[in-house]
Amino acid sequence: MLVFEKVCSILAEQFGVDADTLTRETAFVEDLGADSLDVVELMMSIEEEFDIGEISEEEAATIKTIGDLVARIGDDD
Amino acid sequence: MKLIIDAMSGDNAPEALVSGCVMAAKEFGQEYVLVGKEDIIRDLLKKEKADGLPITVRNATEVVDMHDDPARVLRRKKDSSMAVAFRMLADGEGDAMVSAGNTGAQLSGATLIVKRIRGIRRAALPTLLPTKTGKVLLIDSGANVECTPEYLLQFAFMGSFYMQKVVGVEKPRVGLINNGTEDSKGDPLRKETYALLKKAGDEGRIHFVGNVEGNDIMLGACDVAVTDGFTGNVVLKTIEGAAKFLGSGIKKVFLTNVRTKLGYLFVKPQLKGFMALMDSSEIGGAPFLGVSKPVFKAHGSSNARAIRSAIMQAIRYVEGDVVKTIEENIDQMTISY
Repeated sequence: MLVFEKVCSILAEQFGVDADTLTRETAFVEDLGADSLDVVELMMSIEEEFDIGEISEEEAATIKTIGDLVARIGDDD
Repeated sequence: MKLIIDAMSGDNAPEALVSGCVMAAKEFGQEYVLVGKEDIIRDLLKKEKADGLPITVRNATEVVDMHDDPARVLRRKKDSSMAVAFRMLADGEGDAMVSAGNTGAQLSGATLIVKRIRGIRRAALPTLLPTKTGKVLLIDSGANVECTPEYLLQFAFMGSFYMQKVVGVEKPRVGLINNGTEDSKGDPLRKETYALLKKAGDEGRIHFVGNVEGNDIMLGACDVAVTDGFTGNVVLKTIEGAAKFLGSGIKKVFLTNVRTKLGYLFVKPQLKGFMALMDSSEIGGAPFLGVSKPVFKAHGSSNARAIRSAIMQAIRYVEGDVVKTIEENIDQMTISY
């Protein structure tokens, strides 16, 4: 599974949305209504799933969309 | 059963936590692990003459305080008593966790370390209050300021299960806190939630009794009062303030003259019993409903007696197996059911 698809499936599960509606431009706060706890939860799920070490708070603050997150993990397409 | 106690939590830590734990161990049995600064806790246990009681200590060097950022503190302070206690619970080193610490940090730990039950959108923090006819569970009472109709639908179910399994109400009446009892009342959140609860009620999944106004909550209009955490917190604090106002007013009346003071002597035991209904040290605490393992929050200002009461509530919550009931019924707690 591509990184993008995997990220979408994690987001769909966490936010209770249809994965097909998500795009690289989807923003966590503006489009999915994420609060600070959601963002930390998402970063922790991503760290665990992709085994990429801890995403620092400073870094997390710059990751606002699915595209940003996929880029941080390392895109494979 | 083994209970994990965050010994460094709350305004009166660690003394109240250690002392409350000793009281609980003597009264209820069970096993306990006090988590926090080991040397301080051991000194307190010595003072409490706790030798021979089933209490062990787990060292944790840091403390979460009320000023820490709730969403991030448990990642920043990994060796805090709260973070260690949460990890112990998640790893199966105990059956329940009790903390009097920062509510937001507890919600974070419950969500991020222990994790929610699969399908539950948000953990809720309810409060059990006395009413004219029994008890009412106010859910949410402050954990989730912003809510969606689906969160409130799930709160209604979780509150019902709690009242059934822990309080013993066979068929809990669920009410939606609103600014009028008519079906059409409220803002979009209330209107959409009403439709979801009505459907669940019509299908026999819950016992929905409609909208409930603020003044009817304590008169026994329902057993589960559903609302968002913002409204719930305002309702709770208003009730607490009104109770204190009434208490001080009654005291003033009895202190008016010799005759009223004499009258007080006759009604003192009954009056004290009534006032104890609103005493947080007797009520104890509340669980974060929707979390995959029992996490229990005691009031931040808890004294030893309140901690003992919170532990008692936590034991009842574990015995009621509410978590399992929520897991088994998760399919009917969604919008798409």
